[in-house]
Amino acid sequence: MMTDKQIEKLIIEALIELNEGLPDEEKITITTQTELFGLNAQIDSLSLVSLIVNIESKISNELNYEISITDDRAMIRAESPFLNVQTLKNYILELFDEL
Amino acid sequence: MSNKWKENRLINRKDLKILIGKFINLRLIQISDAYITLKWRNSNQAKYLNKGANSVEEQKQWIKSRPTNELNYIIETKKEIPVGMISLINIDFTNKTAAPGRFLIGEKNEIKSIPAAFEALLLIYKLAFKKLKLLRVYGTIAEENINMIKFQKYFGFVEEGRFRKHYYINGHYQDAICFGLLANEFHEVVLVRLNKMINLLSNK
Repeated sequence: MMTDKQIEKLIIEALIELNEGLPDEEKITITTQTELFGLNAQIDSLSLVSLIVNIESKISNELNYEISITDDRAMIRAESPFLNVQTLKNYILELFDEL
Repeated sequence: MSNKWKENRLINRKDLKILIGKFINLRLIQISDAYITLKWRNSNQAKYLNKGANSVEEQKQWIKSRPTNELNYIIETKKEIPVGMISLINIDFTNKTAAPGRFLIGEKNEIKSIPAAFEALLLIYKLAFKKLKLLRVYGTIAEENINMIKFQKYFGFVEEGRFRKHYYINGHYQDAICFGLLANEFHEVVLVRLNKMINLLSNK
């Protein structure tokens, strides 16, 4: 079972990996509150997809689980899982709970 | 019907003048877009695109001189605010191929709460595979444009090869990664994934 802290660490590492591919002027400030989509988001659509790819790859390569964080369950939620690090973490935890 | 006749008609086809989405529209580029598109092309967002015009006059000439086998669109919000551009070029009705390209979001702050980039791509692929009934789209991406490579792969583009030392960007030569997408792959994979992403990000 994955813990809250483990998933948060994984998302932060995926954000650090994303930052490595961004030019200096587009690098984002990474915290547990970083906004991912919406009016205050620091990243654009391209980066959001890269982040999703980074997270799914980490889950697959480091944890040996195959999960899609953009599956149908994400769509029926009251709020998008991609608003910020916290909403994304909560969603991934739910996915692990269902495994 | 000759292929040349079809190409000549493209820009005049009413159903291609504006492509309507839920969050954004694509409308054909006009001479009056020279200033804003030049601004975008000279911004850091365009560092992986080919070098473009140096002045508004040159950009006007560039817009005027677009060949008949390409369709260049401005991405507009529903309030008609131009936020970027995207094109379908090298449209070839004999081989039923084309290349999506010149994809650029110039006004990121205007689209922060809408999935504009995803919908722009969806509209251009629907144009290629549904309206124009092409069989394949293709393109190249500079190897250092890592986020764009991940983006295209995520949405189903297949890596088909590599042109070595093909682009001179950021002061050095880089390989170009070749990607392709077939009509059946669009219908089976890309359409579903793009719609899913648009729905996900609409759900705020």
